[in-house]
Amino acid sequence: MNHPTQTAPPSTEPSDLAPLLARTALGDRAAFQRLYAASSGRLFAVILRIQRDRGVCEELLQDVYVAIWKAAGGFDAARSQPMTWMTAIARNRAIDSLRRAQAQPRTVSTTPLDDDQPPPEGAADDGPGPAELLDRASHARALGACMERLSPSQRQSVALAFFDGLSHAEVADHLRQPLGTVKSWVRRALQTLKSCLDHGAAQDRAEGI
Amino acid sequence: MDYGNPRLADALAAEYVAGTLRGPARRRFEALRPSHPALEAAVQRWQARLMPLADAVTPVPPPPHVWRAIEQRLWPAAVTERGRGWRSLALWRGFSAVAGVAALALALVVGQVPDPQAPVIVVLQGTGEDAAFGGGFVAGVAADGRSLVARPIQPVAMQADRVLELWSVPPEGQGPPRSLGLLKADGVTVLPRDRLPPALLAGGTALLAVSVEPPGGSPTGVPTGPVVYAGPLTL
Repeated sequence: MNHPTQTAPPSTEPSDLAPLLARTALGDRAAFQRLYAASSGRLFAVILRIQRDRGVCEELLQDVYVAIWKAAGGFDAARSQPMTWMTAIARNRAIDSLRRAQAQPRTVSTTPLDDDQPPPEGAADDGPGPAELLDRASHARALGACMERLSPSQRQSVALAFFDGLSHAEVADHLRQPLGTVKSWVRRALQTLKSCLDHGAAQDRAEGI
Repeated sequence: MDYGNPRLADALAAEYVAGTLRGPARRRFEALRPSHPALEAAVQRWQARLMPLADAVTPVPPPPHVWRAIEQRLWPAAVTERGRGWRSLALWRGFSAVAGVAALALALVVGQVPDPQAPVIVVLQGTGEDAAFGGGFVAGVAADGRSLVARPIQPVAMQADRVLELWSVPPEGQGPPRSLGLLKADGVTVLPRDRLPPALLAGGTALLAVSVEPPGGSPTGVPTGPVVYAGPLTL
């Protein structure tokens, strides 16, 4: 058997992944393979949006699962959800790979020196744009109501940063806004989300959900 | 920067998780996380808040070779056992260039081999699988294949709960590796004759390899830990 044959569930429920991750921590390779089958599509997609070089993405995905295998023992189910934990690892690797890439001469410039063209639309040319993704996420979660509270500019800034891994400067470039403006959009958006989400979570706890 | 300030710590954690904290600031933040519980807790809270956004991304199944590469990186020996071959065989064969140096080291070993016939020398080089295992092993197999002596070129520092196990790896496609026994990490190991397969020198072994195993050796009969040394057996 050369690759996982288990069908990946369309939506990976935390309840499915937690036992797999726990068994992975004990060195259970079969469980690790099921974990990979159930989660690699999601993590690969997350990485592909941030790092545009597909070959690099495949290497990053390897790194991510090697890291998951090695760090599974440190996963604390009481403090984190498996998908949250794994997604954070994937995002960090992807963002770090950009950092390295930026240290080298850029082959694709996002700075509009040739300024007649709009800057590249993040990953949006081959899939849903970040704003659309934000809408989708909004439908799925309590996050939705909180996203509604953001101004369109704030939403777009957060979406470009989160989904496409754009830095403040790149978001500013993309939206053709001053850097300081974008920084404050992002900062305020995050604070709004925090107070909104934490309020909701407090309500959930109060209602015993 | 004052990471003890809770408001600042929280704001930094937010930008870190959102991905907008970049460059040296991001590296500094990552370096500080492990030693600042409040920072770490703030990161976890922000991850819980924001990571569900990623649910919106349509999954993209990675190509099968990614999983194979992960397996190869984590369990090179087990991959062999499943018949995929020692991908690095060619690489290890290249190490024979150092055989001359190792033969010198082996001279010490050979003196203790009871068999008077010239032994077959195998040099086992670090595979790089685990940087903690440097140097190498040299093994002398008596020409009749009925005794084997091995020793590290320099002593190998081992964790208390790990041992080294020596394997005979058959040519590609000819079945799983076969255990030859446990190796001392800091001295000469003489493997008992009755442990050695009759075909050790009759084409039954392409490589000798050393894996890291739990006390008592691999519980499964095939290497379970990383293969840290390997070398081709050429007659």
